[in-house]
Amino acid sequence: MENKEPLSPHIQIYRWHISSLVSISHRITGIINIIAITIICFWASSLLLGENNYEAINSFLNSFIGKFIILGITWSFLFQILSEIRHLIMDLGYGFEIQTTKITGLIVIFGSIIFTVIFYLIGKNFIL
Amino acid sequence: MVQINLPKNSKVQKGNYFKDKTGSKNLRKVNVYRWDPSTGENPRIDTYEVDMDNCPSKVLDVLNKIKNEIDPSIAYRRSCAHGVCGSCAMNMGGKNGLACTTPHSEIDGDIDIYPLPHLKVKKDLIGDLDGLYKQYQSIEPWLKSNSNSETTEIIQSKKDREKLDGAYECIMCACCSTSCPSYWWNGDKYLGPAVLLQAYRWIVDSRDEEREARLKKVADELKLYRCHTILNCTSACPKGLNPAKAIAEIKKMLATANI
Repeated sequence: MENKEPLSPHIQIYRWHISSLVSISHRITGIINIIAITIICFWASSLLLGENNYEAINSFLNSFIGKFIILGITWSFLFQILSEIRHLIMDLGYGFEIQTTKITGLIVIFGSIIFTVIFYLIGKNFIL
Repeated sequence: MVQINLPKNSKVQKGNYFKDKTGSKNLRKVNVYRWDPSTGENPRIDTYEVDMDNCPSKVLDVLNKIKNEIDPSIAYRRSCAHGVCGSCAMNMGGKNGLACTTPHSEIDGDIDIYPLPHLKVKKDLIGDLDGLYKQYQSIEPWLKSNSNSETTEIIQSKKDREKLDGAYECIMCACCSTSCPSYWWNGDKYLGPAVLLQAYRWIVDSRDEEREARLKKVADELKLYRCHTILNCTSACPKGLNPAKAIAEIKKMLATANI
């Protein structure tokens, strides 16, 4: 009898809103960042293998896929940092009103994208 | 454990379609989660065409209309119809709320009605809240005072009384707890927003003398710190309360107190 009772649908039916989206993205970017940092460490130590190796990785990073990955990691780091600041403010007990959480959530989402573009432009020497 | 998919016996199937018989031009489709414990079948979604010209404004009115005029077999909890008792908590249009205070005009498209998420279903829209009530009991939600206060009045200043505003109004409808993904995955250990809001209510009560013991009791990796400020709870609360903030306040108290 106990096991016969079905479980009501949960994540399948629950509507997403800004705070839940930022929360799940925070987790996903956190995992991406750990992997990214590991790869960056390997990249740095692979420099010891000599110039040919450096050139090979450099040409990969300058390819379309390489640039896409770098921009993706940049966004992921920025999202994590902004979202972490949001969490720190919440840990102090501020910003729990529904309207405020929407605004701070949007700041995290759009802020991370805007900063990614700014970083890209700085890297390309378009600004600064 | 995080389990995204529903178990095999919980997979929702397509159900019956009840065509409109009134000939009304102003129809809305209402999809309702149905499960009959007397058959061995999986849950299903029944679709009703409801005449909106002769239907009052709230989702509970739609359900009453279906039960009275179309299909009397549908089961759901309801009592006061004024947002006071918390019986008719359910998931409407993908968000938890009280059916009696949620206007159906706020839901776009078809009106989807499910029981509160991630509960054992007793029948149709009725979920099993036993676990939540047991957790509520575990925080001992009553005034504890050891001094001679049984015979004398315990005075509370207006300022101390104000601390309870936003916590005592909770009607334990479970909209917040069942909206919380952390509670879905760890509901057996994590207390959930509804119970933690009540824990907070007794911790900040100036008349209570067990403040420290209460704080110690909830200071647990699983009981309290599974809250990751997803804020589904605050956005779901039909009484406009803020369980997420109450949980943050408890965390703050624990971080600053010497316990």
